[in-house]
Amino acid sequence: MICSNQLIRYLHSSRSCWDSVNKSLLGKLRKKTGYTFSNCRKALELHGNDVEKAEKWLQEQAQALGWSKATKLQGRPTAQGLVGVSVNKNMAAIVEVNCETDFVARNKTFQTLVEAVTSACLQFAGSNQNTGSSLAKIGLDSERLKLLPGEDGKLLSDHTALLIGSVGENVTLRRAYCFQAGEGILVAGYTHPNPQNTNKILFGKYGALVAFRQILPGSTEETVAKLPVEQLGRLLCQHVIGMNPSKIGVAGEDVPACNSDEEKCMIYQEYLLDPSQTVAQFLADSGVSLVGFARFECGEELDVGASPEQHCSSDMAVEVGG
Amino acid sequence: MAAVTRLGLLMWNNPRLIHNVLRNICTVVLNNKVIFYKDIGCISKCNVSCKFLRHSYRCHSHVRHFSGEEEQQHCNVGTIGHVDHGKTTLTAAITRILSKDGATKYISYAEIDKAPEEKARGITINAAHVEYMTKNRHYAHTDCPGHADYIKNMISGASQMDGAILVVAATDGQMPQTREHLLLAKQVGVKKVVVFINKADLVENDVLELVEIEMRELLEDFGFDGLNSPMIRGSALLALNGDTSELGENSVWKLLDAIDSYFSIPTRDNTSPFILPIDNAFTVPGRGTVVIGTLARGTVKKNVEAELLGFGEEIKTSVSDVQVFKKSVPVAKAGDNMGALLRGVRIQSVQRGMLLCAAGSQVVGNHFEAKVYFLTRAEGGRSKPITSKYIQQLFSKTWNVPCRIDVIGSEMLMPGEHGSVYLTLLRKMVMIEGQPFTIRENHKTVGTGIIVKVLNSLNIVKSNLSKLQIKHGQ
Repeated sequence: MICSNQLIRYLHSSRSCWDSVNKSLLGKLRKKTGYTFSNCRKALELHGNDVEKAEKWLQEQAQALGWSKATKLQGRPTAQGLVGVSVNKNMAAIVEVNCETDFVARNKTFQTLVEAVTSACLQFAGSNQNTGSSLAKIGLDSERLKLLPGEDGKLLSDHTALLIGSVGENVTLRRAYCFQAGEGILVAGYTHPNPQNTNKILFGKYGALVAFRQILPGSTEETVAKLPVEQLGRLLCQHVIGMNPSKIGVAGEDVPACNSDEEKCMIYQEYLLDPSQTVAQFLADSGVSLVGFARFECGEELDVGASPEQHCSSDMAVEVGG
Repeated sequence: MAAVTRLGLLMWNNPRLIHNVLRNICTVVLNNKVIFYKDIGCISKCNVSCKFLRHSYRCHSHVRHFSGEEEQQHCNVGTIGHVDHGKTTLTAAITRILSKDGATKYISYAEIDKAPEEKARGITINAAHVEYMTKNRHYAHTDCPGHADYIKNMISGASQMDGAILVVAATDGQMPQTREHLLLAKQVGVKKVVVFINKADLVENDVLELVEIEMRELLEDFGFDGLNSPMIRGSALLALNGDTSELGENSVWKLLDAIDSYFSIPTRDNTSPFILPIDNAFTVPGRGTVVIGTLARGTVKKNVEAELLGFGEEIKTSVSDVQVFKKSVPVAKAGDNMGALLRGVRIQSVQRGMLLCAAGSQVVGNHFEAKVYFLTRAEGGRSKPITSKYIQQLFSKTWNVPCRIDVIGSEMLMPGEHGSVYLTLLRKMVMIEGQPFTIRENHKTVGTGIIVKVLNSLNIVKSNLSKLQIKHGQ
């Protein structure tokens, strides 16, 4: 019905107003490229209604237009967005990308950018391989993120400008954190709310990475119901997201807080899914020790002036005694 | 006779009932074009003029303020669209144009833009609420910055949307996130959308036609009536600046006409089986037990078979007398504050919070699916997330019972998030779809929600909610 409507309109208008730009060509170009009407129109005008040339010009201009839009929108507050998490063998990356409204954050084009940024960080983590046996953590701030190359070789800042041109909202790459785990250390990542897709890259409003070491069985004869490693990593990440600890803590050195509700030291916190035991007990039962963690909450306030390393609540390798 | 006097006394002592009378009269006013003169105190028939209508609007908005119920001629609309496409300018332009005939207050762009955060039921909502009156209706206009704000609005009951105005700039056409805007409209239950194609003065006619076609196709894709949805071309900025051309003020008038005629308002449901939530009950010596409440829907006739439900009780009875304002009436309609004399029911078995309904129309249950918003720490909510087997007191209408909450599709819900949950009540109550409730912990509200679906009741062994196994096809 709409199609026939369109056809009638088209026939009608093509006879009456055949001005500088042909309407059906404009519609076609817009449908094909998705660029704004005003830009499509300009492209057609410049190239004498040659759709192919106009399209080519638009693709070329997109980057420049994106940049000009990005400059225009610079400084507008971005409090929404997504946290992206990706894990590849012994490497993991967590990034935060911000936009102005959560409508955009739910959009596919925005998620594609978060994907690109996350894989770029993962690639970056892989490029300077960690040789030691400990856990290396690299924090990246907004400026450094912009200069990272994406998978196609273009800078992430160019990707961002393209997106700004497309959605018309300010978008910022806020921060990222990479884990490189040495021998024997396992890394896991998780985002909340539960991502529906089972892609390599997870999105959410909250994200967490944990690094942990399995204590070799044999030291204990007990038959503890051990969870599979993937599930364990996921549970630990969930706890980090939910309970927001500020550090792992060392048994004996750190003192438990008087009020269990305000406990920030992870080993003394009540375990999220079973408040009857502490995290330390849970870790001992599962036969692992925590090495480090990172937690991002989208839009959370950071201490101004602190380096990304300090922003991130992560700790040096600590053995947690059970 | 004694019962009648007693009932009458009770009603006159209750200011809410008086407001109900007022409201009923006002409804008559609007339907039959009869004007009720509050000042003179008589009812006279006359031609409908704007002034009288406005007078009656005020009456009923005043009444609505007290009664907290939706009125027939009141409509809730919301604007959605990209941040730069002119939602705020349009809202300001609407109030400016309608302020000319006095009933609406002009609210400038800056005032709307800097709308302070609102607190509704303790929940902070980022929303601009603007009201205005057209010749037919009173509108409450909502504009929120984000998806989560609209959902909060819906769940907390701060404002519903009967229709949405989608603002799109002709210079850009639809944006990638326009899809998310329409998805939201679907999610909050909006059935009808009017599109305002803004900045129409900046592009040629052929582009406007293309934008329109594109929008109609998009609406169709999302299950709206793309073909018949009104599309208005105009410029909110011109209208705001007092331009009287076709694209200026006239476009806003056209938009107002479109929302007046296209958006339908939910009306009182007089046809469904009746539901009477019980506010109060007393005994009339020699006659029996009378229950009092405002009829939520349907009509009650004398001698109708009824059931008294709630707190695990299911009592069969019949209504031997219906009274509205100290008069015995043959029938009471939805919205009436009424008393019902029940046959063979002892006062001891009636509790505030129970429900009287048409026999067999409702069932008590203890298991429901709901959408809940959990308050952030700043709003007075929890600091820790909610995981399954969370047991607290649930409050709804005039009752409260212990309730277990299980998160659906995830292990936890963070404070400040909304999500779907299963509710399991310790005692069986009647809850119907759309019924609001709150969850309180240590005398503080930590969550608020609405019922989405009534599920089959579960068998709770020895009143122990925590031992219960809840299995669904998760």
